[in-house]
Amino acid sequence: MLAMDQGVVEEWLSEFKTLPDSAISSYAASLKDKAALVPALYKVIRENYSDLLEPVCHQLFEFYRSSQPQLQRFVLQFLPELLWSLLSVSAARDPHTSGCIEALLLGIYNLEIVDKDGQSKILSFTVPSLSKPSVYHEPSAIGSIALTEGALANHGLSRVVYSGPHLQRENFTAQNRFEVLTFLLLCYNAALSYMTPTSLQSLCQLSSRVCICGYPRQQMRRYKGINTRMTVTSDFLVQLITGIHYALCNGEVEMGSKALDDVLYRAQLELFPEPLLVGNAIKSTLHGAALKSNNKEGARSIQVEITPTSSRISRNAVTSLSIRGHRWKRHGKTNAVDLGSPDELMDISEMDEGLWPGGVGPDVTPPTITISNSVTTLNLGAKAMKKCRFGSRCSKDKDKDASPLATGRAASESAELSDRRLTLTSSQSVPKAGALTSLTRTASAVFSRSFEQVASGVVPVSSSHTAAEASRYSCSLQEEGMGYLIPASNHTQRSPSISVHFGSDL
Amino acid sequence: MTARKSGSRLETEIERCRSECQWDKIPELVRQLSAKLISNDDLGELLLGECKLQTYLKENPLKQGASPRGPRPKLVEVRKHLTAALDRGNLKADYLQEASLLMAKLCYVEGEYRDALGHYGKVSLDEMQLVGAPVYRLSMIAEAYATKGLCLEKVPAASPSLSNKNTGSPSSVKSTSDREQEIITCYEKSGDIALLYLQEAEKVRIHKSGIQNRSPKPGPTSQDIELGYFLETGLQRAHVIHFKNGNLTRGVGRFREILRAVESRTTQSLRMTIARQLAEILLRGMCEQSYWSPLEDPPTVSPLDDPTRQGHVLSKNYSLSRRPRVYSGENLFCPQENTEEALLLLLISESMANRDAVLSRIPEHNNDRIISLQSASVVYDLLTIALGRRGQYEMLSECLERAMKFAFEEFHLWYQLALSLMAAGKSARAVKVLKECIRLKPDEPTIPLLAVKLCVGPLHWLDEGESFAKMVIDMGEKAAEFRAKGYLAVGLVYSLKATDASLRSTQEEYQRKALGAFQRAQSLSPTDHLAAFYLALQLAVSRQIPEALGYVRQALQLQGDDVHSLHLLALLLSAQKHYHDALNIIEMALSEYPENFNLLYTKVKLESMCRGPEEALLTCKHMLQIWKSFYNLTNPSDSGRGSSLLDRAITDRRQLNAMTLPDFSDPETGSSSSRSGSEQLSPVSPSTISTFSSPLSSPMSSPLSSPSSPVFTFQPLPPPISPSFLCPTPLPPTPTRTRTQSFSTHITLRQLSSTSSVHATSIAASRVEQALSEVASSLQSSAPKQGPLHPWMTLAQIWLHAAEVYISMSKPAEAAACTQEASNLFPTSHNVLYMRGQIAELRGNMDEAKRWYEEALSINPTHVKSMQRLGLILHQLQRYSLSEKVLRDAVQVNSTAHDVWNSLGEVLQAQGNTAAATECFITALELEASSPILPFTIIPRAL
Repeated sequence: MLAMDQGVVEEWLSEFKTLPDSAISSYAASLKDKAALVPALYKVIRENYSDLLEPVCHQLFEFYRSSQPQLQRFVLQFLPELLWSLLSVSAARDPHTSGCIEALLLGIYNLEIVDKDGQSKILSFTVPSLSKPSVYHEPSAIGSIALTEGALANHGLSRVVYSGPHLQRENFTAQNRFEVLTFLLLCYNAALSYMTPTSLQSLCQLSSRVCICGYPRQQMRRYKGINTRMTVTSDFLVQLITGIHYALCNGEVEMGSKALDDVLYRAQLELFPEPLLVGNAIKSTLHGAALKSNNKEGARSIQVEITPTSSRISRNAVTSLSIRGHRWKRHGKTNAVDLGSPDELMDISEMDEGLWPGGVGPDVTPPTITISNSVTTLNLGAKAMKKCRFGSRCSKDKDKDASPLATGRAASESAELSDRRLTLTSSQSVPKAGALTSLTRTASAVFSRSFEQVASGVVPVSSSHTAAEASRYSCSLQEEGMGYLIPASNHTQRSPSISVHFGSDL
Repeated sequence: MTARKSGSRLETEIERCRSECQWDKIPELVRQLSAKLISNDDLGELLLGECKLQTYLKENPLKQGASPRGPRPKLVEVRKHLTAALDRGNLKADYLQEASLLMAKLCYVEGEYRDALGHYGKVSLDEMQLVGAPVYRLSMIAEAYATKGLCLEKVPAASPSLSNKNTGSPSSVKSTSDREQEIITCYEKSGDIALLYLQEAEKVRIHKSGIQNRSPKPGPTSQDIELGYFLETGLQRAHVIHFKNGNLTRGVGRFREILRAVESRTTQSLRMTIARQLAEILLRGMCEQSYWSPLEDPPTVSPLDDPTRQGHVLSKNYSLSRRPRVYSGENLFCPQENTEEALLLLLISESMANRDAVLSRIPEHNNDRIISLQSASVVYDLLTIALGRRGQYEMLSECLERAMKFAFEEFHLWYQLALSLMAAGKSARAVKVLKECIRLKPDEPTIPLLAVKLCVGPLHWLDEGESFAKMVIDMGEKAAEFRAKGYLAVGLVYSLKATDASLRSTQEEYQRKALGAFQRAQSLSPTDHLAAFYLALQLAVSRQIPEALGYVRQALQLQGDDVHSLHLLALLLSAQKHYHDALNIIEMALSEYPENFNLLYTKVKLESMCRGPEEALLTCKHMLQIWKSFYNLTNPSDSGRGSSLLDRAITDRRQLNAMTLPDFSDPETGSSSSRSGSEQLSPVSPSTISTFSSPLSSPMSSPLSSPSSPVFTFQPLPPPISPSFLCPTPLPPTPTRTRTQSFSTHITLRQLSSTSSVHATSIAASRVEQALSEVASSLQSSAPKQGPLHPWMTLAQIWLHAAEVYISMSKPAEAAACTQEASNLFPTSHNVLYMRGQIAELRGNMDEAKRWYEEALSINPTHVKSMQRLGLILHQLQRYSLSEKVLRDAVQVNSTAHDVWNSLGEVLQAQGNTAAATECFITALELEASSPILPFTIIPRAL
């Protein structure tokens, strides 16, 4: 350590001590003008045995305790370096324990886990729900696509605790070490925007080293130093990734992507799903966006371009929306039970194959109902479908492509998924309005059937609902369905949507 | 259109066509108009000019980033029309303004930026009425502002610009930032008015289409308004400039303004893009401390803004006479945190992306499908980032399930779903999805390893686990560093299978295989402490104590503070009867892991052995304190949403009393239990789970291994013959071989016929036990937290430990009180019933004790401790043959239980079968010499 650096640090140490309380805030503002100070402090922390380490740690703690946000952020910028110092010492089983660094980190932790009144701090957030109006949307405009079990359970906003309450800690043990460090990283991440590039680089370096030391990749990174493996926890890695993500997007492209790779490497070896999940997602979003390493200091790589506002998806492609459009269209018509244009037919069949639980399976009882078009197409089977489509514009190609789709999708959306499509399945199985009363009966049979399936998994469907051991759902739904469907034969337009919503609210 | 329309109707019709951009109808209407009045000619010129200009732009759309260049021959006509309209000056003021705006637009299209600005100077845009203006005029004004902004950007600032005139400022040099501000204001006004225009246009359309089509999202058939170059620019250019300038604050503010405006059909796609971009910025560029909520004023100084650029204006500085409608109402949710806002935005984007999912797979739609997939997967990735940060894996897995409609053959989405299910603790489903991932990417060793982790851990699907692990091994060199992991995994599977197996030969076979696999893993990755540790554990289970000690030391050298290695070391020392050393190790381990209940249970055992029951009781008390502080505070937020754990646990507790044991198997693993249930019936492993769990569960119920227990039959035994007694072959020790021939085989057969059903019924009971015993380890592990029952199981376990200590002190009343506490939590646990039996025995009430043991066995027919005690009581009652049967069953379940062997010997002796009795005693003696204070299998085995 150079004498000059030492001088800078010593001056900093003495200056703060003589400072009257009233001058602290102006002092905090002036800190960033001391250009030589921060690098000098980094050196002190890196050189573990420096005499200055103890007073520096002590002063950093005083800074943190002042509750001046600027002073606290000044301390936080050293956090990655402090963490590395602590971890490397404990990994090397160095007899020189870095007691003062431990004390500083524990001090910050103990300050942060309580609020102003000394109560345990609980960090929570509200999980937004599309079913509640917000400043950005109205529930009615979203539609009822996602009437899933989960969505129903979370009807409304729920407040979720994501950290805390935490216990006060007096010393580091193998058990609490990563709990404390994870929480400290959480604090660091909450102030990421205020961190200097040096601090972000230090975070990336910390991440890389913690993850690869002792593993074959260490040679690849040519890092010589400690070569024992360090334990990590899944939550700790997730917090590291959060910081790395910020660094990656804010100028530290090279170090950031290296660090992300290293964390993912380690997460794979440890078989931690959480960091893998978040890390993969980050890699995938950055994949397309070419990040430029900005030489300008502080330059952000967040850029947006003007994008065309018209939908980039061609009109005639079958989408989830267009399928619903089809339904609306058909509701608009009255009695006309036409099997429709081949295009429309195909759309329906695709939807059916995907949505009807086990509908493509060979062991499903063939239905006795062949009246309404939505139900028929569903069960016509591949042969009948082909016939219907015969002569359509591109029937051959469609068939070729539709059948692997059918199996593929059926495989992918296993029965467990079926209950997630509650609205679609049920409403779609409601036959065309204007049918006879007998049709309404069959309709409700189909109706209840679909719910039975939902309720009881993949139980084979019995052909009539009376024979089935009517579950709670099917019973009530059948009644409701009748109630709404019978008048529906006169008033053609309203039946399906109303009954469906009624049913699903039960 | 043959009938002539009256003047006002005609005008309305013209207005409608202009609003709906039906330019092709205009010439006909103009013809009708001119026929009515000559003064309409000027208006006709205006309309014709407009319609030709618009048609031209529709046919030759301007491209973003490309500047228009030069006059176009086709536009000459337009200019003629407009000049005619302007020059004659007969137009009403409104129309005159419109003509000027159109002229300016034409100038821009022809690249005459200065001229365009000149025209705007004449109009004074700011004074044009927004209130009560016809819809088309709103669009015109919005376009005009955008065009003006474009022109201002094109005309160099330094040159004496025409803009000086229209602002009326002195022709002094305007600073660049003022100029920039003017440009931005133009775009922002344009954007605001454009949003207003779109809302109004939508209102008109909905009104027109009437009630018959009430759907919130009409089908794609209805006409969309196309925004066109100018409105698109107006809506987006402002924030693009903000971000380019590094003014994140203002850019975010602009994004929010656009998003807060009530959606119209035309803005949907824009909103989706902007919502995603804003979410991206919130996640990538902001943090909790630099966040401000959408309804707050932005901070005056923000680290988000590029400090090198001066003169950032943080909020907008203009006002409009009419603004687009924003979402309003009571109880509007307004995010208070960056993750909240990002999540809200992403959920909105997700619902839109989902709507656009292209489902057809015909080749023509390939591109569309790719586009829809890409836009959706970006949204899902961002959702993952946001929810992952907050540990909301359960919600994430639900979201990703919705992504499955995009996921056909898309590895990334499948893998992410699998990981999210795993993180959410939905193990069975995760394994299924992982299988699909393996199919899509067969060369990736991590995926089968993740599957083994689940199979070995929460699911206990050992056969599946074995096949996954073999996949990794079969990859050979390709698996690189994961190869060792593969061997480790397969070793764990065999090790667990060995514990489950009840046939001694299968047990031996699996133990041999497990040892081999661990050795392989250890040689492949000599620096991996886990390999050394599991090798040591396996050796310990096979009672090769000195070898095990060697490897556990090696593991500790690699990872000095590994809790399981320390625990194993302590147990190994206790097996060598170095109880004090073992206690020292446990205390050392506890100084690093003070809240590890598993270690504490062992400590209680060792203390009552070395230091007397009082010390052990203190430890029990300490455990209760830890439990309290731990669960009063801890909130495993990742175990799903909900308030504090304690609240959840209390609601669960209400159900607990009514809980019947089979209900314990949750729906998630329900399929697994039926699966493994069918496996149990196979003769190879008739008792997979039950026997596996009983040694594990013994920490709470193994007073018999404690010599201080008053009824302990081994107490008079001399100290171990040789602490370093080495059992060269795995179980059973050699002397028993001959005896095995004589009676063990027929027992086995009998067992098979009788236990197959018994085992099936006991699965549920043993699942509870298994879970119970895993509590301690799961608390500290980073694995997904278990369900909310676990804290209560831990508590019950602590009470039972205390009861045991009291029993060893011959204090039945206290022991009964402790047991009652546990019983309040789990009234039907066989461990509780067993403990009641112990207390009854202590009180000398043999009949009652017998009844309790029988009840315990009716819940868990393979509970060895109960069997052993029952056998002893039957022995005392001189019902020798029944006693012998029970004890033989017990030995069959767990052949290393030396006290059972001893009891069996006594029964045989009493029956006069001295030879067999001697063999039993010898076996018991040998086993006891290498028996740890708690079974080695108390240490969890997981990847």
